[in-house]
Amino acid sequence: MGVKGWLARQAVVGAHALVVESPGAWLTRVAVEQALVRRGWRAAASAADADVLVVCGQPGARLAGAIDHVWDQLPGPRARTGVAAAADADAALDQVRSVLLDDRGQRGDAAARAVAPAGAESAPERDDGDDGGHHGGDHGEMGMSGPGGIPLASGASARDGLGMDVVHLPLGPVLPYWPPGLVLWTTMQGDVAAEVEVELLDAEDAPLPDRERRSLRSARRCDAAAAMLMLAGWDSAAVAARRARDGLLTGASASESVSAVARLHARVARSRVLRWSLRDLGRLDDEQVAEHLLPQHLRGDAHDRLLRLLTACLDQQHDEAPTERDLDPSAVAAALPPLLTGLDLAAVRLVVASLVPFAAARAAPVGGGPDA
Amino acid sequence: MPELAQVTQVAPVWAVVAVLLLGGVAVVAAGLDGALAARAAGQAPLSGARMPLVETARLLRQRRRTLVAADSLLWRSGGAGLVLVALLMVAVVPLGQWTLADLAVGVVWFNAMDVVVWALVWLAGWGPNAAYPLVGGYRFLAQALAYELPLMFALTAPAVAAGSLRVADVAAAQQGVWFVVWMPVAFAVYCLSVVGFSVWGPLAPAVGADIAGGVLAEVSGPDRLLLQAGRYALLAAGAAFAVPLFLGGGSGPGLPGWCWVLVKTVLLLAALVAVRRRIPTLRPDRFVEVGWMALLPVVLLQVLVVSVVAVIGG
Repeated sequence: MGVKGWLARQAVVGAHALVVESPGAWLTRVAVEQALVRRGWRAAASAADADVLVVCGQPGARLAGAIDHVWDQLPGPRARTGVAAAADADAALDQVRSVLLDDRGQRGDAAARAVAPAGAESAPERDDGDDGGHHGGDHGEMGMSGPGGIPLASGASARDGLGMDVVHLPLGPVLPYWPPGLVLWTTMQGDVAAEVEVELLDAEDAPLPDRERRSLRSARRCDAAAAMLMLAGWDSAAVAARRARDGLLTGASASESVSAVARLHARVARSRVLRWSLRDLGRLDDEQVAEHLLPQHLRGDAHDRLLRLLTACLDQQHDEAPTERDLDPSAVAAALPPLLTGLDLAAVRLVVASLVPFAAARAAPVGGGPDA
Repeated sequence: MPELAQVTQVAPVWAVVAVLLLGGVAVVAAGLDGALAARAAGQAPLSGARMPLVETARLLRQRRRTLVAADSLLWRSGGAGLVLVALLMVAVVPLGQWTLADLAVGVVWFNAMDVVVWALVWLAGWGPNAAYPLVGGYRFLAQALAYELPLMFALTAPAVAAGSLRVADVAAAQQGVWFVVWMPVAFAVYCLSVVGFSVWGPLAPAVGADIAGGVLAEVSGPDRLLLQAGRYALLAAGAAFAVPLFLGGGSGPGLPGWCWVLVKTVLLLAALVAVRRRIPTLRPDRFVEVGWMALLPVVLLQVLVVSVVAVIGG
């Protein structure tokens, strides 16, 4: 008991939490992230890395299904909690901590779990009915089952005309630094996306985009910049972006938070490696912007848009006046497939992260008119 | 030819000390990384310095997991192999006047070990039979294609200057001036490659956040602990091997040789750990171009300069 108890107490000092954000719950997710930092806990990169599953906000039916899948993949000792509102974050994590420490309870949980290995899929079952069944052909090729009942990879021609295996890989909805509620149904050849289809989960249940305060929108842009920096593999700049975001949210002195963003902007703009790494990714020219009814500030490549996320925070007065409405998420989603086709996985992630933050914070029903 | 340097090959049982030293230095690296991360997040650095202990406890307590149709044997051996390779690397590093293995081809031995890392990281990515780890494994191979040849030539430069592939001879050849002073390009390329084969910092796209941890995405518990420990151990072994190769071995005022080797190792290791906070990931598809178009020519030039100097001087 002594050694086990000691081990458990040490282990929970640095627990890893997989944080899942429901559409519209980004402020709750931010509160959870802040609570994690205060405890010295860390964000998990995947289910296998996680001790704790934290669900922020109220997930719709499809997202909840995906979350249950992910919960099955946590290795254990594990604990799960839902955080409905930002104010509940600390209490929820305290409760989770005691669940992790409870050795007897964890042994019971482990014994009750199925012995079958967890599947690698983290996405919900695809709901073909909604999409008019036009992907029937994709699935027809996958009739043959390989070991463990997993469909074997099927073949297709790659960009250069060579025959290559393809595999169907859903990106999202439970994926760190990924827009909440978004699923990309991709057909991958190697790590290149050969086909991409977009779905916004539970969009019909989500409330309409709302006007938000300027300081709030600046904070959201900082948060999006942090996600992009994480995806670009620059953790320390991402941490700085999160701290700038927290400054904007707590309403600490406006000049101080703006200067924090300014320092970050200078640091990001100065990095030649980052520019070299993001250059030409997801480049939108004037023609494409007009074709997809997107606003002019989405022009350029991922690096341009990352800097624009930060300059947007600098330009605005941090008063409480509401902003003009942001883009409808479905408008951005519709523009994604042609931009993403032919990109490798790293580029897909960066382009999505550079475009989606310019959409509204809350998901709107699919098919709703553009609102910019 | 320079006369043979005096080193004593110690009994194999001393490998235990080598394990402890390598482990200790790796823990220092992990603690430093934790402290730097905590400071960046606005927390007390000391709370982050406990990271190695806390993470070890967490992963020892965590259950292992497997996936449908995973190749468990290759998956687990890929993870566990990294620690072993790091240990085999430091076996040829003289600690002052002692060494575990006084090989006549010690430099080549180190090179062979770092090539084994290719297989191990790829197997760790391929074993779980899941998309993200597999992408991570292939990313590592692409990156390794970019750094491996420059690394080989960077290792050649000190060996040419010393006229020997024996690590102790290379260290002894630096009695006057350290090799880092007149072959800085080889040293820089060597350090970059150490960061590369340790899957660390700017050369860690194989475990990137954009693929949910890549090679680490599906691994948990003790298996994850071995993989992570292996990365730190490789970083430590790479730093340790740079000491006889470029940093004058055990030479230095006041302290005994073994002490200087440790001090130099830890200082270089701290610099390698800190690099992670300064530079974003170098994406493998773009880094390959740098490796072949920039690193390889400049390191070849470096070897040419070293060879000319060696011929004239010899």
